Amino acid sequence: MNDERDENKSTSDLGSWLISMGAPLSITELMPSEITGLDVAPIVSMLGGVGIRSGLRQADTAQTAVDEIRWLHIID
Amino acid sequence: MSSNLRITCGTEPKRGSATSPEVVSQFCESLILPFGFFTPTRGILGELNMLRGVYSLLSDSEHFEFESAHHLAQALSDLDSITIALLHMDSEEFAIWCGLGKSDARIHLLKLIKEMQQARIRVQGAQLQLDFAKNQPSPKALFRSLTQLALVGVACDLRQVQRAWLASTRMPLSKKWISQCESIRVFTGRGDLVELGASAFAFHVKWKGVRKSDPAIGIARNHLVMDVGGVRRFVELPAACSRMEAGSVRLLKNKFEVDFSVKESEWPRL
Repeated sequence: MNDERDENKSTSDLGSWLISMGAPLSITELMPSEITGLDVAPIVSMLGGVGIRSGLRQADTAQTAVDEIRWLHIID
Repeated sequence: MSSNLRITCGTEPKRGSATSPEVVSQFCESLILPFGFFTPTRGILGELNMLRGVYSLLSDSEHFEFESAHHLAQALSDLDSITIALLHMDSEEFAIWCGLGKSDARIHLLKLIKEMQQARIRVQGAQLQLDFAKNQPSPKALFRSLTQLALVGVACDLRQVQRAWLASTRMPLSKKWISQCESIRVFTGRGDLVELGASAFAFHVKWKGVRKSDPAIGIARNHLVMDVGGVRRFVELPAACSRMEAGSVRLLKNKFEVDFSVKESEWPRL
């Protein structure tokens, strides 16, 4: 289960995904951090039919999606 | 707008024969090929799980089959989610990187976005048929599915729904149910920003019966997200909202209002 989570985590940004596809590790040095930090989960989901988590990830804090949906409080 | 597309909901979709849309393969390959290593993209695409239906929507087939109306609504919702993620990917940094001659990725990215947008238009103009012979939802679940379809911009012919229901169950749908369904309106996906005070605004979004549909409302970058049972519709917010803070949502019978307050430090006004 943990391995599965780690795998999902490791392929959630563009840089990691390219490496997982066989690209050299130095690929991330060739690309701007804004690009390597792109969340490719939506693309990967198209490939694998898993859940959608759209958006960009901040390059310096890869765990924080900058555009995760922020749900608002509803007043009836 | 009409198209030559027919969509049947309620039948078991054919699996195994679907191939990945070329436009998706081209985009994935364009991201990888410039680095000079073999891409297993085609292999990955060959193992696709087609359950979510996004690839079906991108195919040029004249007849789509979905397991249920809910599955069609979910596929359209996913298509929109992916389109928005791709639009975000088309950043200045991405363009600069692509412009360095590394790849044709941006060309393929824009082509993919365009095809997704066209697929959406095609589905909205399609002739939709519901079939309940194999998949028999409860009237309540069916009402929910039709609401979800309306949320993603797809209208249903209620007479066809009634005929199909009667053919499979031999029991007509109740008058109350039909009356409630007749009140469902296709969501147009627009809203208006209204100034309430010097630094207070509200974004009004109309959708008949929205309160009954019990949506969750959220913000994702420059889009408002309406979620009804996992099916999402995105409404682009005015540019001014990017310098405002979203507050609570007031849910009314036929519309909802999202409060926005101006962040003065980011948007000084005279």
